[in-house]
Amino acid sequence: MALTFPFAAIVGQDDMTLAIQVVAVDPSIGGVLVLGDRGTGKSTAVRALADLLPPIDVVSGCAYRCDPQRPAGLCERCQPADGTATTKGKKTPKLPVESRPVAVVDLPLGATEDRVVGALDLEKALSQGIKSFAPGLLAQAHRGFLYIDEVNLLEDHLVDLLIDVAASGENLVEREGLSLRHPARFVLVGSGNPEEGELRPQLLDRFGLAVQVRTPQDLALRVEVVRRRDAFERNAQAFRAQWQDANQALQQRIVKARKRLAAVQTSDDLLMLCARLCQQLGTDGLRAELTLLRATRALAALQGHKEVTAEHLRTMAPLALRHRLRRNPLDDADAGVRVERSLQDVLAAA
Amino acid sequence: MNAAAQRPAGGPDPAAARRQSGSPPTASMPPNKAPAEAEATARWHDALFALQLLAQQPHSLGGIWLRAPHGPVREAWLQALAALPLPLIRAPGSVDSARWLGGLDLAATLQTGRLQEQAGLLRQADGGLLCLPMAERFAPALTATLAQTLDRGGVDRGGRFEPSRFGVVALDESLDDEAPLAPALQERLGLWIDLRDVAPSTLAAAESNVQFDIATTEVTAGDSILQALCGTALALGIDSLRVPLLALQVACAHAGLHGRDHVADEDLAYACRTVLAPRARQWPAGQSEEVEVQDSDDAVPDSPPPTDNETPQATPEPKPSQDESKESPEPPPSSGIEPEALQAMMVAAAAARLPPDLLQRLMTGAAPARGHSQGTSGQARQGAQRGRPLPPRPGRPGGGARLHVLATLRAAAPRQRLRGRTDPSQPVRIRAEDFHVHRHQQHTPSCLILALDASGSAALHRLAEAKGAVQLLLEQSYARRDSVCVIGFRGAQAQLLLPMTRSLVRARRALTGLPGGGGTPLASALQLAHEQAAQLQRQGISPILVVLSDGRANVTLQGLGGRVQAQAEAQHWARAWGATGHAGLWIDTAPQPETIAQQLAQQLGARYLPMPQLQSQRLAQALQDARPGR
Repeated sequence: MALTFPFAAIVGQDDMTLAIQVVAVDPSIGGVLVLGDRGTGKSTAVRALADLLPPIDVVSGCAYRCDPQRPAGLCERCQPADGTATTKGKKTPKLPVESRPVAVVDLPLGATEDRVVGALDLEKALSQGIKSFAPGLLAQAHRGFLYIDEVNLLEDHLVDLLIDVAASGENLVEREGLSLRHPARFVLVGSGNPEEGELRPQLLDRFGLAVQVRTPQDLALRVEVVRRRDAFERNAQAFRAQWQDANQALQQRIVKARKRLAAVQTSDDLLMLCARLCQQLGTDGLRAELTLLRATRALAALQGHKEVTAEHLRTMAPLALRHRLRRNPLDDADAGVRVERSLQDVLAAA
Repeated sequence: MNAAAQRPAGGPDPAAARRQSGSPPTASMPPNKAPAEAEATARWHDALFALQLLAQQPHSLGGIWLRAPHGPVREAWLQALAALPLPLIRAPGSVDSARWLGGLDLAATLQTGRLQEQAGLLRQADGGLLCLPMAERFAPALTATLAQTLDRGGVDRGGRFEPSRFGVVALDESLDDEAPLAPALQERLGLWIDLRDVAPSTLAAAESNVQFDIATTEVTAGDSILQALCGTALALGIDSLRVPLLALQVACAHAGLHGRDHVADEDLAYACRTVLAPRARQWPAGQSEEVEVQDSDDAVPDSPPPTDNETPQATPEPKPSQDESKESPEPPPSSGIEPEALQAMMVAAAAARLPPDLLQRLMTGAAPARGHSQGTSGQARQGAQRGRPLPPRPGRPGGGARLHVLATLRAAAPRQRLRGRTDPSQPVRIRAEDFHVHRHQQHTPSCLILALDASGSAALHRLAEAKGAVQLLLEQSYARRDSVCVIGFRGAQAQLLLPMTRSLVRARRALTGLPGGGGTPLASALQLAHEQAAQLQRQGISPILVVLSDGRANVTLQGLGGRVQAQAEAQHWARAWGATGHAGLWIDTAPQPETIAQQLAQQLGARYLPMPQLQSQRLAQALQDARPGR
């Protein structure tokens, strides 16, 4: 792997780094959508994501990085041959386990369907005459993150595919004489500039959080960004070593937050607040409430709190709801502002 | 004696020339004779010097974006490029993904029966330069992966990371009104060189004594340098933080080539000219007002900073000579200098090289006159080429379908053993069932050209209604993911309010800002629409014209009054549109249906809808019917 810029060394962009950390704590929130201009550090932050995540246990040698703890989600290869063990809970021969870093997979614009979904493994096909499947990017991203830069310019046929896989957590391959399925649960991270093209609402909905980034207009901050980046370019190894401790600390924070997450309490009052907020904003479906709830809980865990407070809600509401407002495509009012306003109303009423 | 060897090539740099030879600043040397010529010479020198920098650090500078038409100037530059002591790979735009990223060498694999991989061009370019001729026509699939490779310093292939660091030389031949290089790539290439205005005669005059010593000096840049660079970028309205970083690398490389271990003024000035100035989005003086209007295509220099009609302290374009005087503080060790002073020097250096039409663009603001230079934003090409290839599907060739050899072989490959091919020396056994054919994208994107009459006659009381109708159209085009392009006409001539965009928010903004009143330059509007349509078609986009007007033209193409002449001209251009066969829709904004409008609609070959009967349903239907190949 190429050396990535350490996450801890990212300057500013608090919303974006917070959203990424929150999602790292609880991947079930869904993905992060980062909207903003070029050169704001979107890709840097996302690619640095791997730093935040502790390595995961996978079944050794499994191309899909199957989780040995979740027998239900195993791929065909890792499933026991008779298929009984998973249901009856009998002891299965222990799967060999290895530790691997979490994958952050880049999906480039214009990637072919072959590359994304996977295709016939030509090597095996030609050398051994065996029909087998060469996993694509979706398989690589399983249990990790799938990053799409300029997601709003992604071709429609790939968008369809992603929408489906992101919802089902499973990649169905029916092509080139292959017919198989494999698990593909990933966190979608997208970035793009909304002024260059709108996102389909269905795809928008797959993102748990959305953040708006701008380049800092403060000179000192900009200088600091450039200084660190320059230091990194000059000697990536030394720079990473320098930030090693800070990165470790961040990772520890995430690990601790994950452990704490289940114990975080949410009062009924807060649930009411969430519901009322979503009602007032007229968000479609219940996904908004759910995401908001999970996100506030993850934030509380991240900050070491035992209970979700209105303050957490205040922080997360714009991120979780901004992109879910039913909006006129021609309306250019900032959705974040609308969320804030409703939030104030709701909090005042409570 | 590195510095001495470099002197001739460093000549364009006024500060360097002055310091080293004691001669007056180059740009102000010929009193009034030909500042343009001196400027062209300076540009040419900068262009040659860019090559030296690139030779020194191919990867960290990103590369060069060269805008120049095919011709002797570009040839001379390319010769210099070829002379660089670096491996140079030329990649045609037609390269396929296996060759680009690396992949299976199918022919060899089939022949040997063993897996044969080929290295991709992106991998092969490692340590050298990758040259993209006609880079503006490269498909997004290629530019996106290239940008990714530049970012990560390597290619990711099936989970395997192969390091590859190289510089990119993108040769862009796009004309003013065409989409330039993909913005994502523009952003990452440090040096922007524009040789479009350099005449071949300049070359003969300019002594090009280019040396390619690889400098070994380690250059360090102090904090004041960083601050000055960031400050200058901010003052020029450059939002991206990649840019000051690239400028820093360029300045350091420039210093290294001159054998210095610190960054001096001339290094910064060079970085300003080649990195910062071409990306400027605002006139440096009026920074505060402009900060918020940064818009979408932030790396597209051709797009105007939208809206603001006020010109930021419209400083007349400073003469280059004027700036040199500001550069005078020049003690070599720059660490002691105040960043403010440095920044002032750099802003001045950049101002001398600001795009000549920047001021004009700022002045015209939302309404760029006859917006030829606007063209399309780079992203507009995304998905816009007709017949974009899709993954191949099984099928018989013939009847317009072409055989996809690779996919066919791929389909046949696993069945070779079954078919009894045991010896690799035998030919591959392919049967009809393996046949795969090329597929192309069926849906050609379309672009609505909205021509809105805001003149006194039609509009005053109905302009709001017309805008409402446009709103409906925009909503429908959103649903279809079409792009739009807005023309407004009133007064003396029609104006392109918004070049093609997919951002409907911007379209709406352009419309709301449109005032009413004045004459009806219908002919001018139709002519403009015609030009836009030709341009769109070149990009493989089908144009659909929607005119909202009562058809009562009374301003001629020259911008003069005269109903008869104006009407005749309008009819001429309406027929011209009709002759192209593009679709059209005429929405009559008059209170009563107008015969003139009906007549014009007929000549346009457009459907005619009187506004009073307009309902959203009918409008949707009319638009649907107007579409070609519905």
